[in-house]
Amino acid sequence: MDNTFKSEEKLFRAVYPPELVQMFWRFDGKVSSAAFADPNGLSVDRAGGRDDKQVISVMQKRFDGRVVYVRVRNCTEIGAKVEYLPSRSNVYHSEIHGSETAALLSKSQRRHLADKAVVV
Amino acid sequence: MVIAKQMDVRANIKKYFDMAYEGEPVVVPRKENKNVMIISEELYNELMTQSRMTAYAGKSEKHVEEKKHPKTEVVTDVRAFNMKKLEAIAGLKDGWNGNGAPAIPKKLINHVRTILDEMMIQPEIFPTALQTIQFEFDNTRRDHMEIEIGLEETAEVFLVRYDGAESFEDIPNSAEGIDERVRAFYG
Repeated sequence: MDNTFKSEEKLFRAVYPPELVQMFWRFDGKVSSAAFADPNGLSVDRAGGRDDKQVISVMQKRFDGRVVYVRVRNCTEIGAKVEYLPSRSNVYHSEIHGSETAALLSKSQRRHLADKAVVV
Repeated sequence: MVIAKQMDVRANIKKYFDMAYEGEPVVVPRKENKNVMIISEELYNELMTQSRMTAYAGKSEKHVEEKKHPKTEVVTDVRAFNMKKLEAIAGLKDGWNGNGAPAIPKKLINHVRTILDEMMIQPEIFPTALQTIQFEFDNTRRDHMEIEIGLEETAEVFLVRYDGAESFEDIPNSAEGIDERVRAFYG
């Protein structure tokens, strides 16, 4: 894997905090845009050729809350940048940034991603 | 779920009944928090069945089931729900989002509690990793409004109209200022 993403690739996001699963869920069942605000960049796991089941089974080993995904094109269509940033413990780790120079997504970008997020 | 003023419901009763029939619950805020909710007969029956099943299943079984399949709680008293949720937000420790988010300051929790206490139309509330609390509102025109509350003198309003047009504005970060903006949103 490298820093190349196909536009249809899924980016999975665990909605924290896991012990309070309702913290970011709206009454209509959608996730709040507040869950996409992170000044350090929004951590996600890229699919990297895996199907949903495989991704979820790995994520649930370190997390028991809910998982949502957005597609790479949902990020690029609003000017957000997807960066592949693997760590020693997670080879799929990536981040969504607001732009080349700002890690934080704008309110408009957050709202867009919350709207496009699919609950797995 | 949509929130509609009593006056608006009276003037457009068919519209709201149709909305409820189509599955969209309508909350009508009233003085002294004597709020009512309009729901379809189908949803009412579903809720009654769920309620009976929950009572039958017992507490421990329900807890296990909720952990496996967390469901959105059916909320009838939004203010009480928000106050409870605010306590949960107050309990978040440093690093709560798994990526170094600081805890929400106690001063902000107290400020938001005061605002919620005085607001007639209650928002949905969410913490952010920016040490702020976000209020969200949706009206019957399908506009969406977010108010980000921190400890500054102003709070930022982000409005997304039903046609996708977006705008920002700063309002006084006080119960009065926020309540006034929310009333205008539903007006």
